[in-house]
Amino acid sequence: MLKDILKYSTSSLRARKLRSFLTILSILIGIAAIFALISFGQGINKYMNDFGEEMGTDKIFLMPGGGLTAAPGSSNILFTEDDLEFIRKIKGIDELSGMQIISAKIKFKEYKEKYSYAIGLSTDSKEKRLIEEMLGGIEIMNGRSLKKSDTLKTVLGYSYTIPNRLFKKAISTGDRVEINDVEVQVIGFYEEIGNPGDDANIYLTQDGFQEIFDENEFEYVYIRAAPNQNPGELSDKIEEKFRKHRGQKKGEEDFTIQTFEDVLETFTNIIGILNGVLVLIALISVVVAAVNIANTMYTSILERTQEIGIMKSIGAKNEFILSIFVVESGILGLTGGTIGVILGYLIAKGGGLIAASAGLSMLRPSFPLWLTIGCLLFALLVGIGSGLLPAWQASKLKPVDALRYE
Amino acid sequence: MKKDIIIKIENVWKTYKVGDIEVHALRGLNLEVKRGEFLAIQGPSGSGKSTAMNMVGCLDIPTKGSVHLERHNISKMPESSLAKIRGEKIGFIFQQFNLINTLSALENVTLPMIFQGIPKEERQRKAKELLEMVGLVERMYHRPTELSGGQQQRVAIARALSNDPEVILADEPTGNLDSKTGENVMNFLEKLHKEKNTTIVMVTHDAGLAKHAERIEYLKDGVIIKSKK
Repeated sequence: MLKDILKYSTSSLRARKLRSFLTILSILIGIAAIFALISFGQGINKYMNDFGEEMGTDKIFLMPGGGLTAAPGSSNILFTEDDLEFIRKIKGIDELSGMQIISAKIKFKEYKEKYSYAIGLSTDSKEKRLIEEMLGGIEIMNGRSLKKSDTLKTVLGYSYTIPNRLFKKAISTGDRVEINDVEVQVIGFYEEIGNPGDDANIYLTQDGFQEIFDENEFEYVYIRAAPNQNPGELSDKIEEKFRKHRGQKKGEEDFTIQTFEDVLETFTNIIGILNGVLVLIALISVVVAAVNIANTMYTSILERTQEIGIMKSIGAKNEFILSIFVVESGILGLTGGTIGVILGYLIAKGGGLIAASAGLSMLRPSFPLWLTIGCLLFALLVGIGSGLLPAWQASKLKPVDALRYE
Repeated sequence: MKKDIIIKIENVWKTYKVGDIEVHALRGLNLEVKRGEFLAIQGPSGSGKSTAMNMVGCLDIPTKGSVHLERHNISKMPESSLAKIRGEKIGFIFQQFNLINTLSALENVTLPMIFQGIPKEERQRKAKELLEMVGLVERMYHRPTELSGGQQQRVAIARALSNDPEVILADEPTGNLDSKTGENVMNFLEKLHKEKNTTIVMVTHDAGLAKHAERIEYLKDGVIIKSKK
C-alpha cells in the first residue's frame, strides 16, 4: 500500500513539475543555509577546542583595563619589569612572561608598506615557549628562533611566506625588511595560526623591541600555573595580591586577570551566539518555506478536488487521501532537504577554501554525520508538518461535493 | 429484506439549505433494485435523479428515511465505512468519465483494486483482462487525455467492473458522447447485463436511452410518479 501511495504521489508531483520545483527551491535555500552555517559553527568550535588543547589548561592571562576589549597596543596602562618581578614571587607560579605588543609599519623592498603588530619576546627558551603556546602552540616553520643577540633580527608570521597576501612577493630567510624605518634581517617564520591578524605578526627580541619602539613595558603577562596548582585559585590569589601591590580597591582595578580557559570560553560563547543568531535567521526562511509548502498543497487540493471525489467514489478511504497528500508534501520537504544539504556542503566547502586562501583557516567547516541526518529529518518533518492540515481537510471532503466541484 | 433485493430505499428525504430556504431534492422516495436487473431512473433536470443516484451509490446519506444495501443500513454509516462499501459493491460510470488524468488507462483500472488491498500481480492481470474486454488493451499505457471520449468511457467501464461490484451505477453514461459512440457504450452495457447478469442502475433524462433498460422509474419533484416494465 505504501508503495502504491508513493507511486501515486510522485506521479502527481511530476505532473506539476514547475510548481513542485519552485516549492522544493524554497525549502532547499533554508536547509542549505542552516547546513552551511552549522558546519562553520562546528568547525570553529573544533578549532577552538584544538587551540585550547594545544595551549593546555594551566595558563593565566594578565591584561590592562577591563579585559580583551581594547585593541592591542592601545592601552596606556602597561606593566613594568617591577610588576613582573612582584608577580613572579607569588607562590604557585611555574613560569611567567611579559609580552610587548605595538602596531608597527613594515616595508619590504619597493612594495607598499603594511601595518601589523610587532611583538617583543623573551629570549629565555621557557618563557618564549609559554608565549608560543599561548598563540596556539606554534613552532618555527623554517629558519630559526630568536636568540638574545638577535637585536636587529626578526621572525615573521606565516602570511609573509605567501605571495600576494601581504606583499606581492614572499619573504625568505635572509631577506631584509624595514620595521618603523629600521632595517632588520628576517631569520625565520612561524607556522600558520589560522587567522589573518596573528599570522601577520612581527616577532622581535625584547631588546630589539626597545631599540625600534623605545618601549620596555609590557601589555600582556602570561603565567603558567605550577603542575599541582589550580589555575582558577591561583588567578584569584594573583589578582588579590597584585591589587594590593598597586594600592587599588576591589572592583576598581586597572587590570584584568583570567585563566585562559575562561578567555577561550568567552570567545567560544560569543561565536556560539553569533552562529545561533545566523541559524535563527536561516530558520525563519524555513518557516517561510513551510508556509509555501502548505500553500502549494492547498492549491493542489483545490485543483484536485474532483480527483479526490473520484477516488472516494471508487472506494478510497479518508486515510488514503490523507496519506497521498502528506506523502506528497513529505517528498517535497525531503527532496528540498537533500538538495539543500548538498548545496550547503558545497557552499561551506567553497567558503572554507576562500577563507583559507585569505588566511582565515580557522573558518574550516566541519561536517558531522548528525548534521546531515538532522537536516534531512528536519526538512522531511517540515514537509509533512505543513502538508498535514491541507491533507486532513482534503480527506474530510464529502464525495458528492468534491465530485460536483469544478 | 428479500434475498433478491440489493438496494431498498424507503421514504427517503433529502433536504438542502440554500440560504434560509429549504430545498427538498427528494420527498419520500421509495425504490427497490433487484439482483440482476437493468433499471433506468428517468426524469427531467431538477427532478432529484442525481440525488437519488448518490443515495443508491452510498455517496450521500439521506436527511430522513433509510437506505439499505444488501443487509447494511447505509443511512447511518460513517464516511470510512461508506468508502469501503462503495469500493466493494458499487461501480460508477459518470457522464464526464471521471478518470484520473495523471494515471495511465491501466493504472486507472487498477486503482479501485488498490483500495481493496488486492495484490499487485492480480491487479495487473485483472485490469488487463478488463481492458481487453472493452477493446483497449493496446492503449493501456495511454493517459486519458490521449484517448477519445468513447475510449475514456470504456476505460471507466473497465474500472467500474474491476472489483466485481454488485451494482453498476451509470449517471448519464452517454451524455458526453456523440450518438454513435453513445450507442456503442449502451450496447456494451446491455451485453454486460445479458451475458454476466450484472445489475445496472442508470440515471438519465433521455427517454431513448432509458428504453435499453428492463424497467423504467419516472422521477419528478423528488418522488417516483410512474413505473414501466
